[in-house]
Amino acid sequence: MAATDEIIDLSTRRDMSVDEGTASAPATGSGIRLRGLTKEFMVKRRKVTALDDVSFDAPEGAFVALLGPSGCGKSTILRILADLEQPTSGTAEVHGEAPGEIRKRHHLGIAFQDAALLPWRSVVSNIKLPLQVSGVKVSDEAIADLIKLVGLEGFEQARPGQLSGGMRQRVAIARSLVVEPKVLLLDEPFGALDEMTRQRLNLELLRIWTERATTTLLVTHSIAEAVFLADVVAVMSARPGRIVSRVEIDLPRPRTPDMMRSPEFHAYCDQFSDLLFSGGVAPSGDDK
Amino acid sequence: MTAALHVAPPKAGAPIKHDDLESKVTVKERLSAMAHGALPGTIGFVGFLIVWEIVGRITNSGRPIPLIPPPTSVIAAIFKDGWTYYGPNLGTTLGYALDGWVWGNLLAIVAAGLVLMIPQLEIVVLQLGVTTYCLPLVAVAPLVFLVYSGSTPYRIITILFVFFTTLVLTLAGLRGADPTSLDVVRAYGGGRWQGLRRVRLVSALPSIFAGLKIAGPAAVLGAVLAEFFQPADSGLGVGIIRSQQQLEISRTWGIAVVSTLIGAAAYLLTTLIARIVTPWAPKLEV
Repeated sequence: MAATDEIIDLSTRRDMSVDEGTASAPATGSGIRLRGLTKEFMVKRRKVTALDDVSFDAPEGAFVALLGPSGCGKSTILRILADLEQPTSGTAEVHGEAPGEIRKRHHLGIAFQDAALLPWRSVVSNIKLPLQVSGVKVSDEAIADLIKLVGLEGFEQARPGQLSGGMRQRVAIARSLVVEPKVLLLDEPFGALDEMTRQRLNLELLRIWTERATTTLLVTHSIAEAVFLADVVAVMSARPGRIVSRVEIDLPRPRTPDMMRSPEFHAYCDQFSDLLFSGGVAPSGDDK
Repeated sequence: MTAALHVAPPKAGAPIKHDDLESKVTVKERLSAMAHGALPGTIGFVGFLIVWEIVGRITNSGRPIPLIPPPTSVIAAIFKDGWTYYGPNLGTTLGYALDGWVWGNLLAIVAAGLVLMIPQLEIVVLQLGVTTYCLPLVAVAPLVFLVYSGSTPYRIITILFVFFTTLVLTLAGLRGADPTSLDVVRAYGGGRWQGLRRVRLVSALPSIFAGLKIAGPAAVLGAVLAEFFQPADSGLGVGIIRSQQQLEISRTWGIAVVSTLIGAAAYLLTTLIARIVTPWAPKLEV
């Protein structure tokens, strides 16, 4: 699904310089580790390269943001890590485990832009779905704590149809955390929400991540979101999808909303804007 | 849906403000919708009955046997025949219809599930389904009665009336499940079976119920028509043939009305059950 809307056209830009990033990556590749990851699709009998030789490292426990225009293959990386798609070549590992192993050992939590809640299940029952599928056992107390963590107390028995978009995403986040994953994959989980709700949920996400310290990969096209949340930002270009820069965000933790007004924050944002809009990265929105 | 009423407000001092609950259709709105939908329908139906009555009375004046019995005489005939006549006939036909309904739907749902688990079966199963739907009854029914005896031929003919629509609707429902929900199941280690069990089956329920709804009247029709080919001692189809032969035209119409009502009742009953079982499904106002 996501794969097909990621790539439409193949106006290759071979002239792009690939990366100060992968070269200077720290050797502590025990977190997320991508090596020569390439993914090709056949679209109407034409070969389309969604990912072209992507290599990347991030340490264990890091919050990584994949930043780039739509169609740059960032969701494809996430789907490969979740074992929802197979790379054409190259390898992906998290904590030394291949995606298939991560999936089978239930070390994975995932949330998408679409909350994808089952409409016939209550909030609690939706959160329990990964437990039923994986057979992992978690105490009722832990689930109650989780509901508290995402701020849904009092809504345990509500159905998704009765919840707002923001609340549904809270449920999706809680569901992604219920198996106590070692790696959390978030595919623009707040992308369809309004700006205010999105800001608020990002703060919540930061708080949740601080409590759990899970290796996290966030796919986003919001520069401010990437800078505010992440330890490491991988900037991607489209057609074919490549990582053009890997930037460590040297802002102190815990991050607070007023940091978004600091000059350092803006310096990072400007840096990414340059990379995305003038650095040869195809702008989004023209991929028809 | 009144379920919105059950949602408790967030506790005081909750860490964040929640966005508002999405409002559901209010009772008042539903009443006005009913007034717009049902009222003109009722008026139209009553008007139709009145016209029928008038036409019936005019054309029948002076004839010993009514050509078009007016509604009043049809209803009078139904009450005159009463339960002693309709009881056994209804019992026979409903027995065939229910039997065929159960088997036809069961086969269709199982076939749809098999197609989903083993995609290679799709072409074979769908071709079989289309064939059952296209077979001309006048050609098949005598053969079925030739080969089988007892209640089996009635079952087979009724199955032919039920199978294909339920198959197609079940398959569409299973296929229409939210792909992201299936991704979630897969990411937590679930395979095809878990996807079918946790996501596809339940999300297909509204569609399956749509099939069962159509299957109700279709099964009654199938059973009545089957009786045409091998008139037994009792049954609505048998009753229609006999009353025509005996020139009891009002009774023929009466049986037709009763058959229609039975079909409609099956449809409405299924709709009601569907609403109770799948309250999350979008409603089709019929």
